[in-house]
Amino acid sequence: MAYAIEIANLRKTYKGGWTPALDGLSVYVHEGQVMGLLGPNGAGKSTTINILCGLVAPDSGHATIFGKDCTKHTLELRKTIGVVPQQIAMFGNLTAWENLRYIGSLYGLNSKQVKDRAHDLLARLGLDKHADKRINRYSGGMKRRANIIASLLHQPSLIILDEPTAGVDVQSRAMILDFLKEYNQQGKTIVYTSHLMEEAEQICDEVVIIDEGKFVVSGAPLELIKNTADCKRLEDVFLHYTGHSVRD
Amino acid sequence: MNKILATIQKEWILLRRDVAGAMLLFLMPAVLIVVMAMVQDAPFKDYQELRFDLLIANNDHGRLGDEIKNGLKQSQNFHVVDSIDGKPVTEGQLQALLKAGKYRVGIVIPKGATAEVVNAANLVANRLSEKLGMGKLPARELRDSMYVRMYFDPVSKPTFRMSISFALDKYITYSCSNLLVGRLSKLGMSQADMAIADSTGSDDFKRIFQGIGIKEEALNDKGSMKLFINSVQHNVPAWAIFGMYFIVIPIAGNMLREREERSSLRVQLIPYAHNFEALGKIFFYTLICTAQFAVMCGIGLWLLPQMGLPALYLGQHPMAIVPIAICIALSATAFGYLVGVVFKTATQATPFGAISVVIMSAMGGIWVPVDLLPGIMQKLANVSPLHWGLDAINHIILRNGNIGNVLPHLAMLIVFSTILFLISLYVNRSRIHSVQ
Repeated sequence: MAYAIEIANLRKTYKGGWTPALDGLSVYVHEGQVMGLLGPNGAGKSTTINILCGLVAPDSGHATIFGKDCTKHTLELRKTIGVVPQQIAMFGNLTAWENLRYIGSLYGLNSKQVKDRAHDLLARLGLDKHADKRINRYSGGMKRRANIIASLLHQPSLIILDEPTAGVDVQSRAMILDFLKEYNQQGKTIVYTSHLMEEAEQICDEVVIIDEGKFVVSGAPLELIKNTADCKRLEDVFLHYTGHSVRD
Repeated sequence: MNKILATIQKEWILLRRDVAGAMLLFLMPAVLIVVMAMVQDAPFKDYQELRFDLLIANNDHGRLGDEIKNGLKQSQNFHVVDSIDGKPVTEGQLQALLKAGKYRVGIVIPKGATAEVVNAANLVANRLSEKLGMGKLPARELRDSMYVRMYFDPVSKPTFRMSISFALDKYITYSCSNLLVGRLSKLGMSQADMAIADSTGSDDFKRIFQGIGIKEEALNDKGSMKLFINSVQHNVPAWAIFGMYFIVIPIAGNMLREREERSSLRVQLIPYAHNFEALGKIFFYTLICTAQFAVMCGIGLWLLPQMGLPALYLGQHPMAIVPIAICIALSATAFGYLVGVVFKTATQATPFGAISVVIMSAMGGIWVPVDLLPGIMQKLANVSPLHWGLDAINHIILRNGNIGNVLPHLAMLIVFSTILFLISLYVNRSRIHSVQ
C-alpha cells in the first residue's frame, strides 16, 4: 500500500527554544489508514502537523504527502488535505451556515456544491438544526463538530485532526468518532492526535508514539498492548514508553 | 483592600508583559503633544508675525511700482517673488500659480499707477491753488478702476485673507502717500500747505490723497469664487477625510479578533485564500469609507443649509470628487489593514491607530492650514496622505479644478496604498512562518 505521508528525519527548533521540538522524527502513514499520533505534552505532535500543512518550515529532513514535498507544494497540498486545528478556527460572529458558505467560497466551490456538502455534513454531525445559530452561541461539543465540518467541505483525501475531541461531552465524542470511522471507510486517510488513549485504541488502525521530538514506537493498538509487558490497555503502553514524569 | 491591590498588581503584570502596548501608551501621546504644540503654535501667533511668499506682477514700471515692491521687500511679513526663471511675473502667470495652489497671495500693480498718483498730486495742488487763487496744473478726475489688485489662492481662509489684506493695504497706502508727498514737495508745497489742503476734511480729498488703493479680486473666471469661502466649504471635506481615516479602528479590531478566535488560521489553511481575503477586506472597507465620505458631503449639501449654514459647493467638476474619495478611502483602508497586521493586541493597535490619525491629520492641514505651520511641519505635511486628499478635494471645490488637476494626488494616494498593502502581506507572511 502506498504511503499517504512520509516523514523522514524531521528536525525543528523554534527561535529561542532550548530543546528541539522535533529531533529526527520519522513516521510513515499508509493511504486509507487511521493513524494516531500520540505523545505527551511537548512531544512534537502539533509541530509535526504544522509542518505537514505548511504552517511551519522544518530545519532539516523532509515530509511528503501523497509523494509531494510539504515545503515545496504547500498550496497544492492544501487542496487535498483537511486540517482540523486544536482551536475552534471559525468566525464566532457568523452562523455555522455563513461560516461554511464563506469557507466553501474560499476553496473555490460553487454555491450548489457548498449547499449540498454543508447540508450533508451538518446533518451527519447533528448540527443541521443549528445551522443558523452563531458559532459563539454553540456549546463546546457543537463548536468541535462545526470545526470538523469546515475542514471537510472541500472533500480532502487526507484529514489531519489535532485533538478533535478535547473538552467535549461523551455524546459529542461518540458522534465525532463514529463520523471519522465512516469517513475512513470512504477510503480517506486520517491522522489524529489525542491524549485520550481509549479513544485512540477505539478508532486507530495504527498508533505512533513520539516523545521529545523523536519516534518511540508504532503498531496496531492491540498488537502494541500484546507485545508490551504488563500492559492491558493502550494507556499502559503509552506510560511504559513515555514514563510517569509530568511534562510541562 | 487586598483584592484591590491584587487587581492592581495583576494589571501591572499584564501591562508590563505587553511592552509594545505600554510603550505606545506613553510614546503616542508624547508624539501627539509635540506635533499639536507645533501645529497650534501658529494660530496663537498674530499673522503679522508670520512670513509669506508674495507674488508681484508689476505692470506699472514707474516709481510707484518700484516703491511698493521695495517697501514690501523690506517688510518682515512678505517674501516678495517678482520674477520666475529670471523673467518678471506676468498677471496671467500670477493667476495660474495661485489657482494651482503654488502660492497663497499675489498682487498686480496696474499699468499707469504712477501716473495716477502724479495726477492725484496735481489734484491736491489744484485744490490748494483754488484756495490761494493760483493757476491750475493739468489734471483729471481719479479713476475708480485704478487700484492694486490682490488675489488669493481660493483655499485661503477668510481670517488669513483679512490679515494679509490689512498688512498689504498698510504698505501700499504708505508707498502711495510717500510718492504723493514727494511729488507735492517737488511742486513747491510745504507740509503746512498740505495741512491747509487737507483741512477741508472731505472724503473725496482723503481718497485723492491716498493715491490708489488695494482691492481683492476673485481668481476664478466666473468671479463667483468668493461665495464659496466659508466654514462649510473648508470643514466638510477636511473632517470627512479625518473621519474616513478612523476606519483604522474597526479594521484593526476586526483583524485582531479574527486572529484571537483563530478564524484567520482557517483562512491560512486554504490555498491562496489569504490574498483573496486581504483584497476582499480592502475592497469592502474602501466602499464603506467612500460611502462615509458621500454621507458627509450629503450633510454639507442638505443638512447644514437647514441649520442656517451655506450649502457645500462641489465645484464645476463634481464628478471628479468620486475618484478622489475612492483613493482617500483606499489609503485609509490600507493604513488600517497594516495596523491590523503589524500589531499583536488591541492595547497596541487602538491607541496607535487613533493617535496616528490625529497626528497625520494635524500634519496634513486638517486642523490648521498648512501655510500657517512652521517650516518643518510644512515639509512634513507633504508626507501626510490626508494632506494629499484634502488638497485634491480643495482643487475641485475651492479652485474649480478638474480631474486633470488632481491626477498627481490620486497617483500618490494609490502608490501609498499599494506600498502599505504590500508591506502588510509581507509582514503577515513572515509572521506565520509560511513555507509557500
